[in-house]
Amino acid sequence: MGNFVDNGFVKRTIELINALQVDGIIHHYAIGGAVAATFYLEPAATLDVDVFVLLSNPGGSLVSLTPIYEYLKARGGIEDREHIVLGDWPVQFLVPANDLETEAIAASIPVDVEGVRTWIMLAEHLVAIAISTGRAKDYIRVVQFIKEKAVDQVILQAILKNHGLLSKWEQFQHKYLEGSS
Amino acid sequence: MTKGKDEMRRQLASLSFTEKIKILEKLRDRSLGLAAVGLRQKRVSEQPIVGKETSANRKEE
Repeated sequence: MGNFVDNGFVKRTIELINALQVDGIIHHYAIGGAVAATFYLEPAATLDVDVFVLLSNPGGSLVSLTPIYEYLKARGGIEDREHIVLGDWPVQFLVPANDLETEAIAASIPVDVEGVRTWIMLAEHLVAIAISTGRAKDYIRVVQFIKEKAVDQVILQAILKNHGLLSKWEQFQHKYLEGSS
Repeated sequence: MTKGKDEMRRQLASLSFTEKIKILEKLRDRSLGLAAVGLRQKRVSEQPIVGKETSANRKEE
């Protein structure tokens, strides 16, 4: 496939995120969004990395990402609106908004990038989250997952059922999958 | 043509994650480059023409 420039930026980014876990700032994390989808599909352009985190000390009802930002800024991270730029990649840290996202972090799989361990959400969770979020760009990705047979339908149906997403899934199928094969 | 595209997609999907990440980095650099060019062009087109006399800016002597 030709030679690609190896600038090591993503490797550095992952090393910094792993350090958050080693130093106890976060309990666990998983990469979601377009970067995680790239593990299963062809690469698609994205400008940032979505990192879902389980905090070590979530506190009360008000969840703060300040400890993450302070830790990373002390190690060269640059805050930029909702992102923090690490190793040249803008990273958005997200706390799970619901049980589905918490489950997706817990069920994530270990993957190596340039010899560095990281965690990627399962394809079925990525699809379920996309169905739950319901944005057009997420739906396009779901179509790709289905077309490329990158999801286990039994696992996907179980996740959709457990999180009350079956009717949304049916609507999605009706609109985007029926008639295409 | 479609078959060729599908084959290319399959080839890209079968790359290792490390190789895919390198492609992501290139795609991102390209997107940012294109966005920067767009911004520069927009700024140039919005700039008033200075030093060129036109019927609109000509002063009455």
